[in-house]
Amino acid sequence: MVEKRVQCPKCQEKISCYGNPGEIVKITCPSCGISGKVIFEKKISEQENAIEVSHLKKVYGDLVAVNDISFNVKKGEIFAFLGPNGAGKTTTVEMIEYIRQPTAGSIKLLGKDIATSFNEVKEKIGILPQEFHSFERLTVRETLKFFSKLFKKRANIDGIINAMDLKDQENRLYMNLSGGLKQRVGVAISLVNDPEIVFLDEPTTGLDPKARREVWEVIAGLKNQGKTVFLTTHYMEEAEFLADHIIIIHKGNIIAEGDLEDLIKRYGQGSVLQVKNCKTKDAVKILEENGFEANKSANGEISIKIDFKDRVLEILSVLRHECIDYDSLDIRRSNLEEVFLHLTGLKLSEGD
Amino acid sequence: MRLEIILASFISDFKSFMRSKGTLFWTLAFPIMLILIFGAIFSGTGEIEYETIVVDYDQTDMSENFINILNQTGIINTVVKDIQKNDILSYIKDNDVKRLIAIPEGFQEAIIEVQMNINENAETSISFYFDQSEQQSNSIVRSVISSVITQLNMNVSGGKNIIQIKDIETISGEFGFIDFFLPGMIGFTIMQTCIYGSLERNTKFRKDGILRKLLTTPITRSEWIFSKMLFQLFLSFVSAVLIIIVGILVYGMNINVNLLMIILIIANSFLFTGMGMVIGRFVRDEESAGMAGGAVTFPMMFLAGTFFPLEQMPEFLQAVAQILPLYYVNEGLRNAMIYMKTDTAIFHTTIVLIFAAVFFLAGLFLTKWKED
Repeated sequence: MVEKRVQCPKCQEKISCYGNPGEIVKITCPSCGISGKVIFEKKISEQENAIEVSHLKKVYGDLVAVNDISFNVKKGEIFAFLGPNGAGKTTTVEMIEYIRQPTAGSIKLLGKDIATSFNEVKEKIGILPQEFHSFERLTVRETLKFFSKLFKKRANIDGIINAMDLKDQENRLYMNLSGGLKQRVGVAISLVNDPEIVFLDEPTTGLDPKARREVWEVIAGLKNQGKTVFLTTHYMEEAEFLADHIIIIHKGNIIAEGDLEDLIKRYGQGSVLQVKNCKTKDAVKILEENGFEANKSANGEISIKIDFKDRVLEILSVLRHECIDYDSLDIRRSNLEEVFLHLTGLKLSEGD
Repeated sequence: MRLEIILASFISDFKSFMRSKGTLFWTLAFPIMLILIFGAIFSGTGEIEYETIVVDYDQTDMSENFINILNQTGIINTVVKDIQKNDILSYIKDNDVKRLIAIPEGFQEAIIEVQMNINENAETSISFYFDQSEQQSNSIVRSVISSVITQLNMNVSGGKNIIQIKDIETISGEFGFIDFFLPGMIGFTIMQTCIYGSLERNTKFRKDGILRKLLTTPITRSEWIFSKMLFQLFLSFVSAVLIIIVGILVYGMNINVNLLMIILIIANSFLFTGMGMVIGRFVRDEESAGMAGGAVTFPMMFLAGTFFPLEQMPEFLQAVAQILPLYYVNEGLRNAMIYMKTDTAIFHTTIVLIFAAVFFLAGLFLTKWKED
């Protein structure tokens, strides 16, 4: 129960009223007698969960693909499930989509247990399966029309076409579209029933950087429409660019969870000043003697940790003072790749 | 079952089909090409001279002369027989005669009357009996007779139609190759269309994530399968009708469209759609599934009596044919559409229905959309 103070629109009297977040309470002004409604908004921290996964497990023979994982996805956020190939991402998302049967555990979508009410939930979710390829000889518009016919609730197709920036492509056959456009159509298909949750399983795999960027813009747009997005990816830039909340999964286990800043702060190396093509032999030794944390990589690059902001100036003055010779300098911010490397000792791209 | 979903699916299938030149060719044009090619190979060219029976009721110099001229064309090889007028039709039937020419009494007289100006309007007509199932060779023979007669009319009277030709169609009881081949082509084409259509849905659509996508939408499996079956049946009937039209227009075939034929076409569609589902269950990737489909259909094409009658094959292969579903489809269609042997057709139809039920139900039970 929280308190909210409102002002009567007629007599300007200040009134206190009480209610729970998400509730609409009727009140009457004690001085002038006029009635009205007060809406108690939900705070972000109290937002409902769109997806609740608890103790989810999937075992194939001797292989434990998903090992007893639990997590929640809040309504309205873009949630990234990040991990290398074979980490168990698709197995997990397909269990949530009720395509695969879990060995153990329970899944709730929008408060409903999918084991008993998936048919009801179907109308409220939209899915882009991994490596999805639609009917080759239907146009973009025909494809959207076909899929929308399958649902009771139907979004406006023109609206989707415009939002996904597919107006110029709507009469082209699916088979003739580029990879990026196909994925955009795939996302568009997942929206035909105006779903509350959109699942996108590796939506940019195999796309060139430009096409990937275009798909990202489209996904970011979904959040603005108030949809919850569940994204699986093995591209850390994708999670960095899009996600409000990230889970890193490795060999069927969740190894880290949080928002981007959070993860980098906890597991990253912090920012690093890179000295490229250093010609001075004892540079690392000199830097260490001056109290810096420095490493030389195999390609001759020296990384100096920037513990705090003013450190950069100190490093520069040491470099100059000690006459260290180099070609160029670069400041690199810590990223998810580094987080993953820190957690597993592996690069994200070679984690499998 | 929601009609709207089924209709939407049917329309999508139809559009996709019409836009795929390859599928259009293989399902509609290719069977017709095969019929025309095989029809040309097996009916006609085998005979260089067409043996033709001639019955001469005139027994005059002129009639003998006429027979000689026919022989001299090098195309007609006459065999003169002595048959009573009333026995001609039964003779044709009993002896499987493909064509017969009867020269009437008064043949010479009519010619002389015109030549001598006794009766300017005298006429005589030669009867040409021909088996309608041998249309191609008979049309050649008829055109030869007709040009010989035109020439004679020219010489005798300067072009008056003294001698005419009267066509009499017969059914000799013997069926030509095309009668054998065409129902087989219907059975074969439907088999191909259904098995490959079914394989596409169960391998390509699985690989492309379409089945997974459908699982997460409200369409039910029965709605999906029913709508696909509806389209397969539509294609099967389009193929059958097209092939029948070619049979009638090109070969002048006598085809009986009846309930048994329709049941056979429907059962055939279910049978091979089911078989495609069974194959798709075990061979998951698209290309191997295509090859597996070929491995099933290719031997059936030859061993189930589609192109050649089983009697031409060694006995052990004939025994193999007895276990092939397509054999019963082909035989059933032949008996129902051409030979009009209803009892035998019912027997074959029953077996096809059993095969169809077994394979379709097996397909339904074996295929699942859900992943492991």
